[in-house]
This record gives sequence, C-alpha cells and structure tokens, in this order.
Amino acid sequence: MAHAVLLALAGFTYLLVLGPIVIVLITAFSPTDFFVFPPPGLSLRWFIAFFKTDSLRDAFLRSIQIATVSSLLATALGVMAALFVARRKGWAATVLQTLFLAPLIFPAIVLGLALLLFFKLIGGMPDFVGLAIAHCILGMPFVIRAVSASLLAVDPVLEEASQSLRAGPWRTFALITLPLIWPGILSGAMFAFILSFGELNTALFLTGPGLTTLPIEIFSYLQFQGGQLVIAAASATQVALIAVIVVILERLVGLGRVVRSK
Amino acid sequence: MADGLRAGGFRLTRRWAGGALLAPPLALFLLFFLAPLASLLWVSFHAPSQSELYGAELTLVHYATILSDPFYHTIILRTLSTGGVILLLSLVLGYATAYVLAPLPPRRRLLLLLLLVVPLMVSNVVRAYGWIAILGRQGLVNSLLRDSGLIDRPLLLLNSFEAVSFGLMTILLPYMVISVANALAAIDAQYKEAAQSLRASPFRTFIHVTWPLSSPGVASGMLLVFLLTLSAYVTITLLGGPRMKLLVSLAFDAVGAFRWPLAAAISFALLVLALGVALLILAVLRPHRVQGRG
Repeated sequence: MAHAVLLALAGFTYLLVLGPIVIVLITAFSPTDFFVFPPPGLSLRWFIAFFKTDSLRDAFLRSIQIATVSSLLATALGVMAALFVARRKGWAATVLQTLFLAPLIFPAIVLGLALLLFFKLIGGMPDFVGLAIAHCILGMPFVIRAVSASLLAVDPVLEEASQSLRAGPWRTFALITLPLIWPGILSGAMFAFILSFGELNTALFLTGPGLTTLPIEIFSYLQFQGGQLVIAAASATQVALIAVIVVILERLVGLGRVVRSK
Repeated sequence: MADGLRAGGFRLTRRWAGGALLAPPLALFLLFFLAPLASLLWVSFHAPSQSELYGAELTLVHYATILSDPFYHTIILRTLSTGGVILLLSLVLGYATAYVLAPLPPRRRLLLLLLLVVPLMVSNVVRAYGWIAILGRQGLVNSLLRDSGLIDRPLLLLNSFEAVSFGLMTILLPYMVISVANALAAIDAQYKEAAQSLRASPFRTFIHVTWPLSSPGVASGMLLVFLLTLSAYVTITLLGGPRMKLLVSLAFDAVGAFRWPLAAAISFALLVLALGVALLILAVLRPHRVQGRG
C-alpha cells in the first residue's frame, strides 16, 4: 500500500516534469494554424516559419555564438581555478572555493541587475561582451566542480613520477594531468554551453535592441504576441540542440558524469 | 625531496605557477561579480535622480519604503507563501521519487535520473510555454473539458497564485529529486539493517535512520529550489500574468522605470530574504549532523 502511493507520486513527478516538454515537442510538428492537441497530422511548416522569421533565426544564431564564447572562456578560467583550489586545504582555499561556486546558488537576477548597472557606471560595455561575461561567471562553477572531481581522482604519484623524471610543470600538466582530467573538462564545458544557451535571468537585463538570445526572444513572443506555433518550433529546436549535446556527452564521458555534474 | 613528497605537492601549483593560475579567474570574479554587487549596494543607499543613475544624497528611504509600505509587505508575504508551497510540494514529490529510485540497479537509476536532468537543461521559458499550452485558454485542459461537454466557456487556469506555484514547482522539482537521490544513495545499507535487526518498524527506521541521514540532500535541494524561486522572473510573469507580482517582479519594474536606487534596494531585500530562509532551512533540518557530507 505505502509502496503503491510512493510509485504513484514518482509517476506523477515524471508526468509533471516531462509532460510540458513532450507537448511542446509534439505541437511543433503540428500542421494546423492554431494549437490543437493532439495535432491532426505532422508537418514541418512551423520549423520552416521559424528559420524564415529573421528575429527568431538571428536570436538562435546569436545564442549559439554567446554560448560558444562564454563556455570556452568559462572552461579556460574554470580549469585554472580548479587546478588552484581543488587540492589545497586551509581557509584561503575554502574562501576561494566558496567564491567561485557562489553563482550556483546566488540569485542570478541580482547579478544581471548588478552587471547592467556596473556596465553603465563604467561607461558602457558592448552587449555581446557583457552577456558573455555574465554567462562565463554562471558557467564557471560547473566547470570547476567537474574538473575538481576529476583532479581529486588523479593519483598524485603519477605527477610526482613525471617530475622526478625532470619534466617541468607544463610538461607534466600536458602529458599526465590533462589526459586524465579531460572527461571532467569536457563535461564541464558542455554544461557551461547548455547553461548559457537557455539562460534567462541575466540575459533579461543584458540583452537589448541590438542583441537578443533565443530564450529572451521566445519570452517576448509569449508575452506580447501569444503562443503562436512558431514558438513551439523554436522551443523544439532549443530542446533538439540540447539532446544532441547530451548524446555526445554520454558517448564521450558516460552517463554517470552527465547526471552527477548537474 | 622527501618533504615535498609528504606534502603531496602538485608541483604545478608551486608559488609562482599557483599565482598565475589563480590570477585570471580571481580577477574576473573581483571585477564582474564582487565589484558590481558592491556598486549595487552603494547605489541602493542613494536618492533617485532624474538625469543620472543615482542622486548625490545618501539616504535609507528605499529600505524604509520596503520595510514600511503595506504594498511591499503584501508582495513579500506572497513571495514567501509561493516559496513555501513550492518547497512543500517539491519535498513530498521529490522525496517520494528519490525513495523509489534509490534501491534500483545503478544503470537503471542513472537513466531515470537522466530523464529528470535533461529537462533542467531545457530553458525555463520553454517549460513555462509547455504549461501555457496545457493550461491556457485554448490549452489542452480546456479543450478536453469543452469537447466532453463539461464546460461552455474556457476556465481561467493561468494568471493565478496556483498556476505560478504549481508550474514553477514542476520546473524546479528535478533539483529536489537529484539532491535527495544522491543523499539516499550515499547511505550505508548497514544502518537500515541494524535498525531492522533491532526490530524497528519501517516507519521508525525511516524517522530515526533514513530521514536524518538524508537531511544534507534535503537541505541542499530545498535551498536550491527556494533560491531559484526568488529569481524566476520569466516563469512568474508567463504563468502569473501582469498582476501576480513577486518581489523579483518589482525589481524588474523599478529598472523599467529607471529607478535604479530602488531596484538596487529591492535586490538586497531579495538577498536578505534568501539568506533568512536559507538559515531557517538549515536550522530546521540540521544537515551538519551527518558528518563529512553536505
């Protein structure tokens, strides 16, 4: 009896989490002019409409650019921070770790507002750079966590062996450490990309007339023009890109890491 | 040499190399995380200005307004009650789900968790759109009810406290499941066996063994869910409509009206609220009882 209740609650959880996404995905293939569920047939007309709508297509391409730049930046800086922090002890390392991981729980909307104000105070910042910086800060904790976990699994004896053979720090890093922590770097980088690609809270403040991302464009469509079906196609494209990344990640680094990194 | 080995030294992080590694990420965080927050705090103590971002005069008027104005009290209370409903529902559903997943074989458990992790990667605006498609005027629920002849006019299911609480809860629910599932997976099965061999009932075993040992996961799940609730402007706006405002909406409106000092003060009110509820969650659950975790 108790077990049946638990199973029902778990089933309900999956229904509530997956249901809305599945409905958006199915709706994207609808041939009708307005929302009808289930759709009477299948068509790609709304995907074609999506790529023919300049504002949506531009936002999509811009999102990919921002996500690429910010995740590369977050990866480079995140790996550096992880190398410094992961194996140190003491209060300084704890403070640094807390600082670098803070964006995971810090209300991102406040960061977005603070950055917008700050950029105005220092005399302006190009929209693209500003948003890339914000997404870099939000993505870095994911890189740091994934890389730190990999680093802690590396046996220091391997690095010491390399150095006793007179390899310098850089050679040891490139030949020993890097190959061993590579899966952590890769999964951190992909999480940073995914985060930027769907991010709303800082983008709300840091996008403007000259620069918009796909999630923000979808938001303004929903807010001001209602739920047209082209938005379902735009959303489905967002989901499809993420699905591709998750599959690549699973092939390259395995399922466990995909689940644990979040 | 022996000393270096005993210190477990990673030679790359010798003093100079360590500094070179730390400088770029630290500079980024000082310049674009801490400095902007400091300037936000600074601006929140200033009078508004027509022409500038903030006036020259120092004042506490924005904080005084937030603390004394009944309108702000209503909004803060509503923010807290939305957060409370979301926490309670997500705890019940999330814990039950994690409890079902915990004893499964590892590969199956991972696959089922992945089904909840992937939605977290999908933009919240897409997931909110899913709820609009379900609950909207022409949405799934209304068309089903209309086709079955139960209603003539569509029900207004969106733009309400319930829609925001429920929709946002489903968006954040995976965080709770994952946090609790990780905590449950880390519990040594011997504890449960020990309780059972002492003839504790399953209920007593849960109350005295499983629940306390899972408290770090419950605490981190609740913290994440509540903090993300505070920021969720887009979901709140889409499911709640123009009248269902929470504290974050007011910050956004203040920016729209170019009232920067007020927006800054509301942001810090939001942070204080976040901190207060976080401390309350930690005080109630006491996750630090479980050594070495959380």
